[in-house]
Amino acid sequence: MTREPILKIVDVVKKFGEVMAVDHCSIDFERGSITGLIGPNGAGKTTLFNLITGVLQPDSGNIFFKGGDITGKRPYEIARRGVGRTYQLIRIFPKMTLLENLIVVGKGKGEKAVERAMDLLRLIKLIGKKEEYASDLSFGQQKLLSLAQVLMLDAELILLDEPAAGINPTLQNELMDLIHQLNRDGKTFIIVEHDMNVIMGHCQNAVALNYGQKIAEGPCSEIQKNELLLEHYFGR
Amino acid sequence: MASFIEILIRGLMLGSVYALVGMGLTLVWGVVGIVNIAHGEFVMLGAYFAFWAFSLIHFNPFLSILISIPVFFFAGMLIHRRITERLIKEHELSALILTFGMSILIWNLAQFFWTNTYRSVPYLTGNFPILGLVFAKSKTVSFGLAVGITAALFFFLKYSKWGKAIRATSQNSEVALVCGINTMKMRMLTFGMGIALAGAAGAIVSLQWVIFPQMGGSYVSKAFAIVVLGGLGNIQGALAGGLIIGILEAVVTQYLSAKVAQIIPSVTILVILLLRPTGLFKK
Amino acid sequence: MKKKIPIWLGTVALMVFLAMIPFFASDYWITLLVLIFIFAVYASGWNLFSGLTGYTNFGLAWFIGVSGYVSSLLIADYNLPWVFAWPVGAVFISIVSIGVGYILLRIRGVYFAISMVALAEGTRELFGTEYLSPITHGGKGVPFVAGIQLSTLYWAILFIAFISLLVCYKIASSKFGLRLVAIREDEQAAETLGIHATRDKILAFILSAFFVGLAGAIHFTYQNYIDPSFAFSIHLTLTPIVMALFGGVGTVFGPFIGATLFTLIHEVLWAELTILYMAIFGGILMALILFFPQGLLGWMKEKGILPRIRKI
Repeated sequence: MTREPILKIVDVVKKFGEVMAVDHCSIDFERGSITGLIGPNGAGKTTLFNLITGVLQPDSGNIFFKGGDITGKRPYEIARRGVGRTYQLIRIFPKMTLLENLIVVGKGKGEKAVERAMDLLRLIKLIGKKEEYASDLSFGQQKLLSLAQVLMLDAELILLDEPAAGINPTLQNELMDLIHQLNRDGKTFIIVEHDMNVIMGHCQNAVALNYGQKIAEGPCSEIQKNELLLEHYFGR
Repeated sequence: MASFIEILIRGLMLGSVYALVGMGLTLVWGVVGIVNIAHGEFVMLGAYFAFWAFSLIHFNPFLSILISIPVFFFAGMLIHRRITERLIKEHELSALILTFGMSILIWNLAQFFWTNTYRSVPYLTGNFPILGLVFAKSKTVSFGLAVGITAALFFFLKYSKWGKAIRATSQNSEVALVCGINTMKMRMLTFGMGIALAGAAGAIVSLQWVIFPQMGGSYVSKAFAIVVLGGLGNIQGALAGGLIIGILEAVVTQYLSAKVAQIIPSVTILVILLLRPTGLFKK
Repeated sequence: MKKKIPIWLGTVALMVFLAMIPFFASDYWITLLVLIFIFAVYASGWNLFSGLTGYTNFGLAWFIGVSGYVSSLLIADYNLPWVFAWPVGAVFISIVSIGVGYILLRIRGVYFAISMVALAEGTRELFGTEYLSPITHGGKGVPFVAGIQLSTLYWAILFIAFISLLVCYKIASSKFGLRLVAIREDEQAAETLGIHATRDKILAFILSAFFVGLAGAIHFTYQNYIDPSFAFSIHLTLTPIVMALFGGVGTVFGPFIGATLFTLIHEVLWAELTILYMAIFGGILMALILFFPQGLLGWMKEKGILPRIRKI
């Protein structure tokens, strides 16, 4: 019983002037998977995220989400279809309270949105700070908040840009536990990470990019064995 | 009926001075990051500077123009150090309103102290014949001065250490930040340069046009159009933009009317921001 | 729940008091209040868009001038009663601002501010040229009489001011208002979280245009005169912004309080220091930005004198 991949990237190209940020990439992401997206700086990972979420438009190629063509659609449309993302440099709304940060994302009216927001705040264990400004949170707490925003969106596909960076191991574990819990509930994840331990420890599959091209793809166990590949391309 | 060549040259002469003002604004806006609505007021002050020097102590206007450069440079540095530096990290509305307030303060004080009477510096009268066409001496010499100052500016930007730092910052302020160039000192110096250009332009203008307290207004709107045309922070672009605005003004004034020519800056800004927001010229 | 009632009780009591003014106050006070209310709606209308979304509208005079001209010309040249002319002016500018907003709101930051100034300045020059003369009477002013009593005009603008306060309050406490703030905080992040920024911005822009346009129509009827240099003057853009700053940008009551304070101070200063008035005004502006950018209400919220909620 074959199921459509939740996200299909088909021969996508993105140039910035002379530079090929994404060079004829084709990748499939299976529903319910946790895939790591790895590669050196400038490999095109964040650009790919920007292309998927509609922040950038591909020069050629198509992107399909749940079977529908989302190429060139506006970011808010794509988000409403169920694609959520977080940013490498955290982008929550600093001068809004935690509660407001979530309510503003929620679909639907009044009370239901508030309840859902409260539930999510309890999930990330920040319910006590609901009336505080988001700018007053610590770095790690802000990361949790931005994840909560994505959940508020009811996103089925969640793109995380370096979720583990800059936070202490305890919080990292909490975060990864949360991701696994959500994954068991059916959510698909694509995670950009430089920390190989995180990738190997938590992802089922991985895709490696370099200079905008996909150079390897497959289960993490195989990628791990392919040390030679990694060394050659990432120069470790 | 004026020939097209004559109109073109007229436009270039106008534009050369506008370019000075525009380059000053693009330095302050693009490199320092302050949108200075009071920029035109410094042109006005430059003009009055030359006027008072001439009428009170018979100071040669050419010397006034020369001296206006360091005078306004230091004034600009002081203003930045004490006032505008504080707004560097703030929302842009703050700089807009602050400089707006400064603009109102300056021209109203000018009006209070010096009255609305039209002034002038009748130092160069008469005409030059050039290639069979006739141009006012004051305008021709002004053109030459503007060209000279522009050349000096470009020389400075290209060869001096500080000029290179400015170019680096205007091209990629993030990289410049990392390299430690974008410091308060640098901003202060650049702001000073921008104001100096405005003041010098004003001193030059005193030779050709009437001087009055509200004259800054038309210069600042043209300066904004020039910065938008040339691209923010792009000094060569501002030079080209200044000449373009000057030529447009000359052409429209000749073939339509001076009143219609007043619309040029506004239309330019809207058209460029809609069609090519980064400006006509690449860095 | 208990806290809500005093605010609204106070406001309603104030409204009743204000409504009685024409019965016992002199014309001087009535005209002063008329101007306060007009500028309060200007300030509040500006704040509704710029205070929330962070897109600095430096071309408020454009709304005022266009609506003012439509309304005034309808009264002057077509004898339309003011009760129709005013709404027509307001609706006209609202509709035009849909198109303008759609085009100009793609431009961000300072550039947006500048393009709005360019729009206002350009329209002013345009109205002064010979090309639009048949409609606009060239650059010459249009004196006209609308056949309305001062007290009626007073009640009209008082009513409009109250409605605009109500609308601002509603929006500030709504999800729409929250989305506008999110757009100010980080427009791209807001978009990737499903917020249709363009639609929300344009909606706020139109609402702003409507109220400001309505007050503008009333303003020129009050003056019995309209001409391009005043109708589109930078003064009409700047004063409401300063009032909003005084009271607190982004707050609900701020613009109203700012308009009141500012006009009262203006009356005093103007009487005492006519000649240097503008220079002092410029200085006050600078001081405001340097030392008091959050305005009165913002300061009170920071100090805890007022609760830090959006509804106020």
